[in-house]
Amino acid sequence: MSIKPVKLIVIAGKKGRVTVKYPFQEPIITPEFRGEVEIDPAKCIGCGACVRACPPNALELLESEKEIILRYFVGRCIFCWRCVDVCPVSAIKGTKNFELATDKFTDLYTLVVHTRATCELCGTPAETVRMRRYITEKVPISEEYITTCPTCRKKQFAEKIAMRKVGISELKK
Amino acid sequence: MPNPEAIAKYVELAEKSSGVIYIEGDTIHIIVPTSKLVDVADIVFNKYNCSFRVCAGIDERPLNGHFSLVHLFTDDKAGYYVAIKTYLSGDNPVAPSIVSAVPAADWCEMEARDLVGIEFTGRETFRLVLPPWWPSNLHPLRKDVPYNYRPEPRIESEKISYSSEYGVIPLGPYHPTLHEPEYFELYVEGERIVDVKYRGFHVHRGIEKLAESRMNYQQINFLAERICGICGFVHSTCYALAVEKAAKLDVPERAQFIRSIVLEIERIHSHLLWLGVAFHLLGYDAGFMHVWRARERVMWLAELLTGSRKTYGINLIGGVRRDISEDKKQKALEVLRELNRDFKSLIEVALDVPQVKRRLTGTGVLPREYAIKLSVEGPTARASGVNKDARRDLPYAAYKYASFKVPVYSEGDNLARALVRIDETFESISIIEQLLDKLPGGPILLSDFEIPEGKVGVQVVEAPRGGDIHYVVTGKGAPYRWRVRAPTYANIPALRIMLRDQPLADAPITIASIDPCFSCTDRVIVIRDGRVERINLLR
Repeated sequence: MSIKPVKLIVIAGKKGRVTVKYPFQEPIITPEFRGEVEIDPAKCIGCGACVRACPPNALELLESEKEIILRYFVGRCIFCWRCVDVCPVSAIKGTKNFELATDKFTDLYTLVVHTRATCELCGTPAETVRMRRYITEKVPISEEYITTCPTCRKKQFAEKIAMRKVGISELKK
Repeated sequence: MPNPEAIAKYVELAEKSSGVIYIEGDTIHIIVPTSKLVDVADIVFNKYNCSFRVCAGIDERPLNGHFSLVHLFTDDKAGYYVAIKTYLSGDNPVAPSIVSAVPAADWCEMEARDLVGIEFTGRETFRLVLPPWWPSNLHPLRKDVPYNYRPEPRIESEKISYSSEYGVIPLGPYHPTLHEPEYFELYVEGERIVDVKYRGFHVHRGIEKLAESRMNYQQINFLAERICGICGFVHSTCYALAVEKAAKLDVPERAQFIRSIVLEIERIHSHLLWLGVAFHLLGYDAGFMHVWRARERVMWLAELLTGSRKTYGINLIGGVRRDISEDKKQKALEVLRELNRDFKSLIEVALDVPQVKRRLTGTGVLPREYAIKLSVEGPTARASGVNKDARRDLPYAAYKYASFKVPVYSEGDNLARALVRIDETFESISIIEQLLDKLPGGPILLSDFEIPEGKVGVQVVEAPRGGDIHYVVTGKGAPYRWRVRAPTYANIPALRIMLRDQPLADAPITIASIDPCFSCTDRVIVIRDGRVERINLLR
C-alpha cells in the first residue's frame, strides 16, 4: 500500500480556500463577462435590426395599428450581445448583470413603445416615426418620398411615367 | 495538399461503378447509381480503410424531384473527405442498406428512415428517433412538413423490456453521475452482463429542421453551440467551417488561431470535467473536488477570452467576435502554467489511489477490430489502438501551425481511455501555448461576403469526445440541409462490446468511459414502433 494518496493533503493545504462567500462577497467574474442587455428608449428607433440578429427570439417587434413595440424578454436571452453589435444607433448596451431571478414575471420584459408613422396617401401604417427621422438624416434625398409607402410610391412613379408617355389628357380617359 | 495517388484511386472507383466524381477542395464527391452503392461503400470502408462518419438523407424534391442519400467517409491517411451520394426516386425512396459492409452505418440509416422516409432494403429496421406516438407516414425532415407542425399524440402503451431468460437491470432514465437522459437495459446472468440494450433519443430537439426552416446563417452558429453543453464551441466551429468551405470563404488567419485556442481550452475543461466525474464514480471524491478546482481556472480563462464560461458565442461565419489582446494572452499563459503544474501533481496522486487504479485496469475492454468496424471516435478509438485524430489527419482552423502528439494506447480498457484524456490535456496546454506565441496580426472577421446556393460543405472537428461532423448544403439565406452528428452517436454502439461479460458494478464507469453526451446524440430523432427490438449491430 502506497502512502502517495496522502500527498493530496499537501496539495489542498497549498491551494487553500478557492471559493468566495457569494452573495456577501463579489462574485468571481471577468471584465469580459456578458450579462443582460439594456435598451436605451431615448435612442432606439425601432428598426428591428436586433430582432433579425437575435438567435433565440428574445427580442421581438410587436406591431399594431398605432404602435410598434420592441420587446426584450430576458428569459429567452442567451447573452450573446449580437444585438449590441448590430444596433445602428448604439441604443443597446451590454451589462454585467446576471442576477436576474425575480418573483414577478413582468420584470423579465422590457418594452420600448414607438409611435408609428402612416403613409400620407393611403394611410397604411408604416415604420416608426423615429425610423423615418433617422433615414432622412442619413439619406437627405429620401425626404422627397419617405412619407409615402412603397406601394403608393410605385403607383406614383408609374403614373408619372405614363403621363410623360401619353400626356395627362390621354390618362384621364 | 493535393495527393494525386489517393485521388486516382477514387477516380478509378467512380469509373468502375459508372459514377460521377468531382473534387472540391479536400472533399471527393462521388455520385453513384443506387445499385452500386453497397459495392462502393464496401470498397471505401473495407479496402481503402476510410472511417465512416455518418449518412444523411436529403429531401431534394423542390430542387430536382428526387430524394438523395449521402454517406460520408473520411480518408484519414490521405486527408480527404469522401461523400458518396446516390439519388432515389421522389415518390418511393428505397435505398440498399450498407450495414452488411459498414456496420457503423446502422443508426444513421434508421434515422434517415424516420426523418426523411427513405426505406432500406437488406436489413431490419425499427423506429430509432421519433417518439412511439408519431404517425408512421409523417417524416419531419421532408420539406413539405412545416417546422412547427405538431401531430395529435396517439395513446399507446410501450413495451420496454422483452427478455425473460435473463435478469433485467434498468440503468436510467438518468445516468447515476452524468445527469443526462439515457436508458440502458442490462441483461445479467448472476453478476455478469450478457447483453445490453440502449434506448435513447428522449430529448430530440429537432434542431436540424428548426435551422433549415426558421433561422438564418449567422443565427445558426448560436443554435449549433447549444447542441452540447460541454463541447458546444466545437459544433459552432464545425458549422462555421462547413459553411465557409461551401462558400469558399477566406477566413482571416487570426480568427482561425483564436478558434483553435478556444477549442483547446474547451478540450481541457471537458477532459478535466470527465476525470472529476470518473473519480467520483470510482468513489474517490477528494480527487473529484481537486480536479474540478483546477478546472475552475480554465472556466475563468474561457470567460476572459470569450465573455462566457460556456456557450462562448464568439463564432460567426467569416471569423470570430472577440479578440485576444496582449494582456489577455499573458493572463492565459499564466493560468496554463499554473494548471500544468497543478494537474501534474494531482494526476500523480490520483492514479496511485488503489480503487482508481484497480477499477480502471482491464474493465470495459473494446478490442481494436470492433473499434474499426464501428468507426468509433476520439479517445475511445485511440485507447483501442486506432490512430486517428481529425486535428492531425484533416487539419482545420490553425492546427497545422502547432506540433502535438496524438496519444494512442492499445489496451482498450477504461484505464487506457483515462490515460488518453490525461495525455491530451497536457498536449492541449502545449498547443495553446504554441498558438498564442504564433498568433498573427490582422482582422478577426470577414465583413463582406456572399454564400452561394447549392454548395456542399463537409467538416469534421475533433471534439473532446471524438470527431463531430457537420454536412451543409447551402440554400437561400439559410442551409438547405444541415446534418449534424455528435461523436457519442458513433460511440454508444461500442458499449455493447465493452459491457459484455463485465461485472455489473463496472457498468457505470464503463458507460462513462466513452464520455457520453446523450443530449448531443439525441439532437436527431430515433424511435421504436411500439415494440422494442434488440439493437443488433454486429450481425
